[in-house]
Amino acid sequence: MSTLQQQITDKFLASLAAEKSVTPEMLDALKQLLVSGKKVKADDIVAVFTTPSGGAVT
Amino acid sequence: MIRLQSAHIEELRGIRNLDLEFNGKTVAIWGPNGSGKSGVIDAIEFALTGQIARLTGRGTKSISVADHGPHVDAVKFPDAAFVELTVVIPSLSKTATIKRKVSAPNKPVITPNDADVVAVFDEIAAHPEITLARRDILRFILVEPTKRSEEVQAILKLDDIGQTRTALSSAQNKLRGALKTAGSAMKDARDTLQRHCQIATFGVSELLTAVNVRRERLGLAPLTKLDADTALDEGLAASDKGGEFNKSSALADLVTLQDSVAALPEVAKESVDVVLKAIAQLEGDPALLLALQRVSLLQKGLDLLNGAECPLCDHAWASESDLRDHLREKKAKSDAAATLQSALLAAAGTIATHAETLMGQLRIAYRIAQSRNDTEFATLLASWGTDLRTFKAQLGSLDGVLGTKHRLQQSWAAQPKTFDTLHAAARAAIENLPDQSATVEAQSFLVTAQTRLADFRAASAKHAAADAANAAGVAAYEAYCRAMEGELDALYTDVQAEFSEFYRLINGDDETDFTAKLTPEEGKLDLAVNFYGRGLFPPGAYHSEGHQDGMGVCLYLALMKRLFGSAFTLALLDDVVMSVDSGHRYQFCKLLKERFPETQFVITTHDRLWAEQMRSAGLVTGKSLVAFYSWTVDTGPLVESNTEIWADIDAALAKGKVDNAASALRHHLEFVSRHMADNLRASLVFKGDGNYELGDTLPAVLSRLKELYGKAAAAAQSWGDEGAQQAASARKKQLSESNGASNVEQWAINKAVHYNEWANFGKTDFIPVVAAFKDLLARMNCSTCSAWLYVTPRGGSPEALRCSCASNNLNLKAK
Repeated sequence: MSTLQQQITDKFLASLAAEKSVTPEMLDALKQLLVSGKKVKADDIVAVFTTPSGGAVT
Repeated sequence: MIRLQSAHIEELRGIRNLDLEFNGKTVAIWGPNGSGKSGVIDAIEFALTGQIARLTGRGTKSISVADHGPHVDAVKFPDAAFVELTVVIPSLSKTATIKRKVSAPNKPVITPNDADVVAVFDEIAAHPEITLARRDILRFILVEPTKRSEEVQAILKLDDIGQTRTALSSAQNKLRGALKTAGSAMKDARDTLQRHCQIATFGVSELLTAVNVRRERLGLAPLTKLDADTALDEGLAASDKGGEFNKSSALADLVTLQDSVAALPEVAKESVDVVLKAIAQLEGDPALLLALQRVSLLQKGLDLLNGAECPLCDHAWASESDLRDHLREKKAKSDAAATLQSALLAAAGTIATHAETLMGQLRIAYRIAQSRNDTEFATLLASWGTDLRTFKAQLGSLDGVLGTKHRLQQSWAAQPKTFDTLHAAARAAIENLPDQSATVEAQSFLVTAQTRLADFRAASAKHAAADAANAAGVAAYEAYCRAMEGELDALYTDVQAEFSEFYRLINGDDETDFTAKLTPEEGKLDLAVNFYGRGLFPPGAYHSEGHQDGMGVCLYLALMKRLFGSAFTLALLDDVVMSVDSGHRYQFCKLLKERFPETQFVITTHDRLWAEQMRSAGLVTGKSLVAFYSWTVDTGPLVESNTEIWADIDAALAKGKVDNAASALRHHLEFVSRHMADNLRASLVFKGDGNYELGDTLPAVLSRLKELYGKAAAAAQSWGDEGAQQAASARKKQLSESNGASNVEQWAINKAVHYNEWANFGKTDFIPVVAAFKDLLARMNCSTCSAWLYVTPRGGSPEALRCSCASNNLNLKAK
């Protein structure tokens, strides 16, 4: 991850932590997604925001 | 990051076998055009990134590293084409090597293969912008703002950042779509429950009133509240829950379906018109349709992009970035078509929502038909429902919508011909049923009401979850945009300040008030520069091309400094310094030395004087100035150095290759004469084209040096310094003797100087020529630091004749 990208990611996550609509679980999952080094896909983000608290029942 | 210690290059580009020592220092590589100096940049870039920028991008479609990276005689042996670099990693205090072969560009061999060392090389590989070529400079300056934005984005690696933003935006759209669908499903569930209960408004009070009428009839306690756990059929024995069929409710559902079907011709009419109009427009303009299909295809390609291989045709590109740029460029051309596509799909989405509502009503009617064992009606309803589901799926894509044209022209719902008949029969059959006993009616009412309440609760829960997910998606997208814009604004502010400062450093003599302004907008990056206090203008408006080139270098340096900070330890500048006009080169060297003391520059130039100026300015030393004096396809670049040139000439003579020796000597003499003319400020007969021959420069240099030694002797005498006077006189005498010795070969020299006939001489003829000139040039060179003598200061009255290490330092100012 480039320096600039890292800076933006850090600032983004810090800002998102103050949002009531984003739970700590969502924030953590989003962080994992962004720092994984893989290309971020829309469906991955949708999964982060739609997975029930505690994870999906399987 | 890293600093280069040495490079070993074999069979790559124009190089056969070459070893270079960098020792972590800034290096200048001089060579005439076609001498192979850019091949060194290619080789270093290849070793570090696996790419060669010159072989990618515009105009290089049929050129690739795999096919054209190896030396032309080694094309079939890519395994023989490789580069090995030895580097120092200051942050780790480690030395490492990286070896990369053309046959395996993505599998470098790194030694030691420590995780931290590999991570450093991975980081560099992700930043090919360490190489800046002259052709790249104008990309920053003289381009349209949109293009400049792309170029700067490439340097800043904004692709990945943009990818994340796009993914968040797409996710936001998907979540919004899911919320809309969930809302529609919730409304349908609510309508179904409301219809069953036959209440005018959907409220707890009315609902409980309708329910309690039935409960009272069954002797059940009335419900006083409705919360998440309330069961409308609470207290009803299991044996009494046998059937959901409720005559009045079933009739109400069938009437609703009948009304809905009757209204179908008017439902979504505007949306159907929009879609049909768009389809007609596309059919009338095949180019637009083609562009639209391309948008769809290109978007698929961009979505699937993962690596340098095209996901659509498997073609291997130099890098994923190149491929992404290519797809984006093509997609941008179809933007008008994309706008049409957006309107078309939005209208299709509205039709799909209506189809979903109709499907919900069909499902309920299907259950009624099944409970009545009305197989024919149930089959028709199931078939219609399946058809609508397929139709709805078609409305989700461009190709699908185009395929619905004929259906939309008739009726999007495609009501089966027998529906009215079968529906009427089913309704009549139910109407003809004897009224249910009050008890059975109450039981089935409560059972059905509870089922529909459960459906409504589930739909509400899904809607609430979709709403929460949508809110999170919106918050995430907006937070990312804020973070991105905030960081980029700060970055551009910093860059414009440093860019202006760097430019002022170079052009301080005439543009002390230079300022610049970078203005980022959506997809654009405007650059305006101050022109002599007259206001801000585009760079190409009034500034000369030389100044614009200088701006390109300064903007690059400012971007790199801001982007990498202390990690900006290596930059490869391929013929870039030519962008700085001759009057400002020393300031440019000062800029690199003073503002980038931790950065190792590898600089190539085809201007030998410029290379020597870098040495005079202390940017490079005699040891870190590499000269390629010639190149052949068989040998690759021939390296020249003050110490090795004579060995090379001797070696050529030993092999009987007088032509090679003559060529090397002549190049060397031309360089030394030209450089010494500049160093000593010799008087030359002015030539408008600046094309000075050896016959113009060498005599003038010798004359000037004798004059300076004379001045030094006179100055020493005026100060009463007898030792210095004798030393200066001795030097003058030695110079005359060397010149005299060379005069022995005057016949050869005259021919050589004026007609370049050395190449036709025999070995015996040429040996004395070499010896005479070797001795002569030694009089102009310091035996300690190997630097050429020069006069200081560079302007005004000469004060001293000296070398870089001050072993030679002759005072020229008389008392």
